[in-house]
Amino acid sequence: MASISRRKFLGATGATAGAVAAHGLFPSVLRAQAEPLRIGCPLPLTGPFAALAADMQRGAQLAVDELNAKGGVMGRKVEVLFRDDELKPAVGAQRTKELIENQKCQFIVGGLAAHVQMAINEQTKKAKVLFISTSQSDEISAKPDTSPITFHEALNPTITSRVMGTWIAQNLGKKWWIIYADYAWGKQNNAVLQDTLKKQGGTLLGATPYPLGSAEFSAHLPKIQAAKPDVLVSVTPGADNIAYLKQARSFGMDKTMKLAQPLLWISYLKEGGPELYSDIYGSINWYWELQDTIPSAKKFVEASMKKFNMPPGDYGAYSYSGVLEVGRGVELAKSTDAEAVANALRKSPVYDHFKGKEWWRACDNKAMQDMWIVKGRGPGKTKGDWGLMDIVAKVAADEKYDRTCAEKGFV
Amino acid sequence: MGRHPVAAFGMFFAVFPFLMPYKSLASQVLIFGLFALGFNLLYGYTGLLSFGHAAYYGLGAYGTGIALAKLKLGSLWLGIAAGPLLAVLGGIAIGFFCLRRRGIYFAMLTLAFAQLLYFVAFHLSDVTGGDDGLRGIPQLPLNLFGWKIDLEGSLAFYYFTFVLVWLAVAGLKRILDSPFGTVLQAIRENGDRAAACGYDVRRVKHLSFVFSAFFAGLAGGLDALRLAVVPVESLYWVTSGQVVIMTLLGGAGTFFGPFVGAGTYLVLGDRLAVFTERWPLVIGLIFMAFVLFLPKGIWGTLIDRLPGGTSAGAKP
Repeated sequence: MASISRRKFLGATGATAGAVAAHGLFPSVLRAQAEPLRIGCPLPLTGPFAALAADMQRGAQLAVDELNAKGGVMGRKVEVLFRDDELKPAVGAQRTKELIENQKCQFIVGGLAAHVQMAINEQTKKAKVLFISTSQSDEISAKPDTSPITFHEALNPTITSRVMGTWIAQNLGKKWWIIYADYAWGKQNNAVLQDTLKKQGGTLLGATPYPLGSAEFSAHLPKIQAAKPDVLVSVTPGADNIAYLKQARSFGMDKTMKLAQPLLWISYLKEGGPELYSDIYGSINWYWELQDTIPSAKKFVEASMKKFNMPPGDYGAYSYSGVLEVGRGVELAKSTDAEAVANALRKSPVYDHFKGKEWWRACDNKAMQDMWIVKGRGPGKTKGDWGLMDIVAKVAADEKYDRTCAEKGFV
Repeated sequence: MGRHPVAAFGMFFAVFPFLMPYKSLASQVLIFGLFALGFNLLYGYTGLLSFGHAAYYGLGAYGTGIALAKLKLGSLWLGIAAGPLLAVLGGIAIGFFCLRRRGIYFAMLTLAFAQLLYFVAFHLSDVTGGDDGLRGIPQLPLNLFGWKIDLEGSLAFYYFTFVLVWLAVAGLKRILDSPFGTVLQAIRENGDRAAACGYDVRRVKHLSFVFSAFFAGLAGGLDALRLAVVPVESLYWVTSGQVVIMTLLGGAGTFFGPFVGAGTYLVLGDRLAVFTERWPLVIGLIFMAFVLFLPKGIWGTLIDRLPGGTSAGAKP
């Protein structure tokens, strides 16, 4: 206080009081125009998925910059508010409540872990706020969990495991062993993989569940080695993926069988390095080298290089697209009302933000999108810091890969 | 708070949501305050440190959640009652085993039972939703003497919670002021002497354990309604740790200390989380400072410094 004179203090107080009074005098409609459009973004910024969450944070930020550079949405500036859900459903739910009630966020885009995303969805449904989930989950777009104002931008276990499972059976071999993390997402993938293998006429030699977050696989590996499968399919998310691959390689399993998994993440390829991921097969929703063939991917990569000096990752792409879809929906609906925006998106469901054409399926608000089969590049074959994968095949978007509307509970 | 703590509690929390940045936070403070209050009955007044109190909070949450989401009971009151009921059953059974040991063995047993329940809930995914959590808990309207009150709004839900928590606080105060409450404190101070006075120490402890489970269970049930989801983490040991921290931060053995601790922990955490992901560090430092320099906690220190006040006799 010592450095502030009495006159200055009075002046500042008076100006503040004046501003507050003027704020109250304007009709609320005019004020609403000037207020930014707020999008809440709960993500696991700390904990084992922090690297993926940081990627998603960058993606959402790029989308907001892009919208604001165009003059905002309906003339309003767009803001994104990030909150750490700590990978805990109760925290995710509470932070979402804070975003909606305290920060007056009209939209929520985010979620990375399936269980947290489900808790977020309970809050958005209650508050009648539109939610675009960016987490892999089967339930989020199926009854009873979903709602007319819940959208799902990411792939899901059914799609990834059906597509990748079919590809593995047709290209790598039909005698499998599956190792999977013993929790909801792992179990769903395991079930879909087994079903797909059966349809392809393959043989399942065995399936091993392991506790999620465990770094110890050596107890399971000798048994798998003795069974001599053609392919060892692993559902080992996060840091487990690196631990698992290190041990499988140290047992020499990469020499006697193929190693494949439903999903690859560029963040973990970067962390694990090309030696670890050399010739590991998996599928992916997006990869930055697609910029060579897809114009929207090029625009996205360039924006990211300019701002962050690195290409975006597969999960950053989800949140980027999710935020842009909020902008598109609001412009289409000329409103921020959740139902109006949802209806507008269903009415003109096709969009292309980063990977070519995507569309919302009308019954369940699920994004239908292309995906790619990729393989880790070996040491010496990588391009720069991030050119870590070869694209093996493209799988064009098709509703048949997901469960049907009837299977999801829509009659 | 002085002579009429329950009335003072009512007056303060009647205006509390308007002092908070948003209403759901106010409800959360009430609910966790009740949880901590229940824990304090066992720890602060009876001298039994339970490391597994999440068990009763979680049982309460699942009780209410399963009653409303799975059994589709159409009544809010039945749903609310199912939570504490399940928690009390859990308290009777677990207390029966744990109270056979004292000190660290007691604490470890409570922890072991809570973890046991956690793994049961984790694997019984048909009933509990497992790792995905129990979802689909409907927000039923409140039926009161023919009146239907919609609890969808966060302020309406706050006042609904407030009335129930207030009743619970009044009940708890009644328990502590009764001869039974005095026996609890006698056992805390010297169990052998209490036994020599002719009290059935184990039975009194067991009753305290079950009461404590009831309050934690009610808190769990209310939280299930508030979030419309029961995560399996409700039963996890970290939740047990949180309630210990809240109680010690506010002041164990004082009536409102746990409430003050829960409020401080939650409001500070919520505000700090807006600025930094490292908010637990700040709360940790504050917690350490209190344990080291002001072991009576925030409330205990405060009422010590008030004229005529002392926390020694477990005052409000």
